Amino acid sequence: MADSTADMAAGTAHAARDGRGFLARHGNYLLLVPGVIWMILFLVVPLGMMVYVSFWTQTTFSISSDLTLQSWITFFSSDTYFGALLRTLKIWLYVLVLTFVIGYPTALFIGQVVRNKTVQTVLLVTCVIPFWTSFLIRVLAWRPMLGVEGAINILLQKFGLIAEPIEVLLFTELSVVIGMVQIYVVFMVGPIAFMLARIDESLIEAARDLGASTWTIFRKIIFPLSLPGVVVGAIFVSVMVLGEFATASALSGRKVNLLGNIIVTQVGSLKWAFAAVIGVILTVIMAVVITGLLRIVNLRRAL
Amino acid sequence: MLELSRVTKAYAGIPAIDAVDLTIRDDEYLTLLGPSGSGKSTLLRLIAGLDMADSGRISLDGDDITFRPTHLRNLGFVQQSYGLFPHMNVFDNVAFGLRYREIDPVTDDSEVTRRVRSILDLVGLGDLGGRMVGQLSGGQKQRVSLARTLVTEPKVCLLDEPLGALDANLRERMTVELRKIRETLGVTFMHVTGNEAEALAMGDRMIVLDRGRLLQVSDPDSVFRAPRNVGVARFVNAYNILEGEVSDGSFRYRDLRFPAHGAPSGRASYAIRHDAAEIHTDTAPPESHASLPATFVASEFLGSRFFYFLRLPDGTIFDVERHLSREDPRRIEAGTACTVSWDPASALVFDAQGARLGDDTLKGAA
Repeated sequence: MADSTADMAAGTAHAARDGRGFLARHGNYLLLVPGVIWMILFLVVPLGMMVYVSFWTQTTFSISSDLTLQSWITFFSSDTYFGALLRTLKIWLYVLVLTFVIGYPTALFIGQVVRNKTVQTVLLVTCVIPFWTSFLIRVLAWRPMLGVEGAINILLQKFGLIAEPIEVLLFTELSVVIGMVQIYVVFMVGPIAFMLARIDESLIEAARDLGASTWTIFRKIIFPLSLPGVVVGAIFVSVMVLGEFATASALSGRKVNLLGNIIVTQVGSLKWAFAAVIGVILTVIMAVVITGLLRIVNLRRAL
Repeated sequence: MLELSRVTKAYAGIPAIDAVDLTIRDDEYLTLLGPSGSGKSTLLRLIAGLDMADSGRISLDGDDITFRPTHLRNLGFVQQSYGLFPHMNVFDNVAFGLRYREIDPVTDDSEVTRRVRSILDLVGLGDLGGRMVGQLSGGQKQRVSLARTLVTEPKVCLLDEPLGALDANLRERMTVELRKIRETLGVTFMHVTGNEAEALAMGDRMIVLDRGRLLQVSDPDSVFRAPRNVGVARFVNAYNILEGEVSDGSFRYRDLRFPAHGAPSGRASYAIRHDAAEIHTDTAPPESHASLPATFVASEFLGSRFFYFLRLPDGTIFDVERHLSREDPRRIEAGTACTVSWDPASALVFDAQGARLGDDTLKGAA
């Protein structure tokens, strides 16, 4: 009796599946519809719009949809603007390297030295604690630290290490780099620590048993296995730093203009076409950077 | 030759390995049997150097290696979880030790290739060198792990439950192959297992470990037939063990008495091997036999033999094993009252501390 009921149920389900045809077979894709609509409306369309607007004609007081290359030519022929592009890339590279140099050892400590999961979590949360205050406060807090009469200069003078205050600390590219590294290093630490913590202790014991020294084990086992974390961390940091403008405007005293700052000013003065040019350039740079980073490891296989 | 003398290790004050003395000879297959938590893995880790002993001495061919770091010991450790490097293919996994070891790495690529190829052939994975670790089956991973250790030609190869994760079929094939591989290379294997059949079948010698102490070290045949300790009798899983008391040269179990000549009075254990017992339903047991009343519970067919399970009046299950080469299977209704009997000369008696009362003690008194 129970058997025949089950048979009938299976039969009905089968018939229903055949009956509904297309919808039943591809019903799962319906789950994607809201996301796809969202992405089209708020990502694909605006991106297309941005590219389109970048070719509009911009005059001092108005903008018209007549297509022209003028904004592009202005960008690449101006030292100010092209220089901002180079500066953005330079600061991005500094920040990327420094977040890695500072973040990797920290992650190594959290992920490998500490083998206790609870302590690992506590340490990672500790890294995130600065995020409990607002971004602006975190950035602005660097001013009393780095200024000519700031904490660092006062301390160094007190200990007699320097006679005159160091002036390059604030309102320079250095202060922008320092500020950004402090804010973004945690995005490097997190993914790397996650990958490192996932490495099975038995691999390291096996390598040790096979005669490898600690340094060799790091080079051949631990680092390669943490590489996906490095790549993910680098992508996080890159995407955020390349589009940065707030840290630069708060800590550079308006002397260091990044592409992000230029967009803000141009939009502020309603120069939409020119802002769009920079937007397109930034988008292309980020795409190239991400593609390049993803070439390093096969994330799909590693995660 | 690897020698351990009074090696001790405690975790949080609880001894895991307690004053162990052991000699591991060259070119032998040694099995280490112990229940989980007996300290098997700890003992392996101490030998491999993955943990350091609290006290005692470990020496390899006369050199004291008690505190020598793992990577300078030249002992192989095949982990239960295989520990294969997931970012490398099979070939690179196996070549790891040769290429990157601290002492005497092999820098010549063709030499590495030759040695890796030959060991992969030996473990039967000759054509899988290019596979990634994730594409291997459990049995193949096991072999890669073994090959990776063996290729470095360790003095002793420690295997932590190497067959534990394999299914029954594969386990039996690997049993034969492990022995063959070991004989081909002439390297000493120390094989840790919680499975008594594996330990008995594979070892030239076998060690029984319980609560950090060595209960017995001898050939499997002696371990099986003459366990020196009631713990050993329990772990080989071939004895029915009755707890009772000895008085006046006989073992008292509930209100029954079995002869135990010469045994000193006091608490004792009495062991009857599964295949030494017989079941009687209608007939009376032979005059010379000791016997117990029991209730039949069930039987289990194992191909060449039958297991019969009976319940003693106190609820204990009593196993009887009969080989089909010696008698036909019996069909007994569950719940049937019967009698189990055995030749008292085949029974073993252990004193209150668990030590077996030797043949000489018993005979001398008779």
